[in-house]
Amino acid sequence: MKLLIIEDNLKLLEAITQTLQTEKYLCETATDFSAAHEKIFLYQYDILIVDINLPDGSGLDLIREAKKQNPSTGIIVISARNSLSNKIEGLELGADDYITKPFDMAELVARIKALLRRRNFSGTDIISFNNISINTASRQVFANGRHIELTKSEYDILLFFFSNPNRVLTRESIAEHIWGDNMDLADSFDFIYSHIKNLRKKLAAAVKNVPIKAVYGIGYKLDTTPPHETD
Amino acid sequence: MDTNSIQPHPMKLIKQTYKYTSLWIIPIIVIGSLFSYFIIEFIAYEEVDEFLTYEMERLVKYHKEYNDLPDFHKLEKVIEDVKYDSPVFKDTLILEPGDNEMVPYRQLWFSINHNGRDFTLVLQHLLLGRDDIARGAFLIISGLALLVVFFTFLSVTRVTGKIWNPFYDTLHKITRFKISEPVPRFSSSDIDEFNALNSTLNVLLKKTTEDYRHNKEFNENASHELQTHLAVIKANAEALLSSPKGNAEELESVRKIYSAATQLSQVQKSLLLLSKINNREFSNNVNLNFEEPLRNVLGLFEETIDIREIELTHSTEPCNVFMDAGLAEVLANNLVKNAVKHNIQKGFISIKLTADMLEIENSGTPHAGNPELLLLRFSKGENGNSGIGLAIVKEICDLYNFKIQYEIKNAIHKITIFFG
Repeated sequence: MKLLIIEDNLKLLEAITQTLQTEKYLCETATDFSAAHEKIFLYQYDILIVDINLPDGSGLDLIREAKKQNPSTGIIVISARNSLSNKIEGLELGADDYITKPFDMAELVARIKALLRRRNFSGTDIISFNNISINTASRQVFANGRHIELTKSEYDILLFFFSNPNRVLTRESIAEHIWGDNMDLADSFDFIYSHIKNLRKKLAAAVKNVPIKAVYGIGYKLDTTPPHETD
Repeated sequence: MDTNSIQPHPMKLIKQTYKYTSLWIIPIIVIGSLFSYFIIEFIAYEEVDEFLTYEMERLVKYHKEYNDLPDFHKLEKVIEDVKYDSPVFKDTLILEPGDNEMVPYRQLWFSINHNGRDFTLVLQHLLLGRDDIARGAFLIISGLALLVVFFTFLSVTRVTGKIWNPFYDTLHKITRFKISEPVPRFSSSDIDEFNALNSTLNVLLKKTTEDYRHNKEFNENASHELQTHLAVIKANAEALLSSPKGNAEELESVRKIYSAATQLSQVQKSLLLLSKINNREFSNNVNLNFEEPLRNVLGLFEETIDIREIELTHSTEPCNVFMDAGLAEVLANNLVKNAVKHNIQKGFISIKLTADMLEIENSGTPHAGNPELLLLRFSKGENGNSGIGLAIVKEICDLYNFKIQYEIKNAIHKITIFFG
């Protein structure tokens, strides 16, 4: 999987690159419009992550160019301008997703994986850990072969975990993942807690070890290290 | 938005001009009438005196020649043995038997010597009545004044429309002016004052739009920089939180950094939204049914409402409002969010949407003090929340002239918005 990350802030670029490298993606970077333009022209990428505001041009023009060069490239726009018009314009030009700064790395990873699944790069719609599997095409969850009925939020949270195995998901990032900007994060921790409690209860009915672990004071984590058989 | 656009009304200025000009006719008529009265009176005396003098001279001359008076004379009376050294004019009133009225006469008293005896002769002539003169003077002057006024107004009406045209043109353009649009071009005129007005307005509007643009750019740039750096802080904090090496104390510090950065970013987004609403940057107004954003928002919060075991009742009717679709979403979202957030376990939310108002009632905690203050920016709630959500609601209502009411009675909160 080859990605091109276009972001002019070096520190952010570094953070994004490091995160995505741990996900085993092949990352290339560009810090300005002209460098990005050249790379898009010369090489093929599966996914482009584009900051709209670049010192020497607009990311929107890069989207246009990339779509011309290779229409199958997936494009995720990142922007600090939380403006609707930018978003609409970006999506109209052929971007697949739009994410506003500051975003959580877990969110970016989840978006990239969702995009890859939609483009069917990974070849399968099924993600599984520890006998729990999610069919992302039919939005169904099975645990030990049993179908588990989940609410929309519970499903979204579970998929978010599965997209970020072994990464600590803060309560803030989970809240932002389900409600976006529609909820004040600090007030939503109770709701997150209830959602996860219900989710674990439903999974526990089918599997012995629910891999979702609480990380005290911070959030939760999907622990994929195989459970010790202690019988 | 120019809901109170003033329709140019050329008659207003002219009517006012007429009104004040008309008042000036009164002194003109009074002074003019007095003046004419005295002139006419003076001329009348002059004429009568002259006539009487001629008559006197004719009689004296005749008497000298023929030592007798002519057959035909106008002597009123002849008084014997009285002598005036020189002729004397006298005014007198004589009763006119015809209409039983005292009528003014002018008399000339003079003496002649006839055969050694003195005789005083009296000539008299009718004078113009003072009331007649007054009436005449008044009628003449009033007629004249009215004639002058009539033709003046006629010409002023004709000319004003033409002269004030550039002024109304300017007025029309500035009432229609929107801050986000380029400064209008005012038509030039051959009147210095209007040109001065137009160029002053032009400078002012240019300055205003420039300030507006700078402010907008500043907001966007500040936001961009801030959010980018917050993204760096969050990304690094997140990496530390995920690293298995940290000890509990360090993780707690990192968590605080992370959550402060998250909150800062949210507050900044809300403030940016507020200032954008304030700057009227959302002007893509359309006719929409408010049921739609309301339904979307209720879908979004459905599970949250379930978790709290909140009883939701809602009745909606089609409600047409003319507003920006994005702001309608924000409005519905912030109202419902507020009702969910400040609710209690097993509480209730009741939503009523009619053709011209939205009423959201919810259980909550008692609140001492004026609930309307909760609509203000940065008013602190009991959890220390900066109430930006409701401030945004208020800002949107202000933008569209919706009336908003916030009441709290026995821990039941009720927000009502009257559209239109």
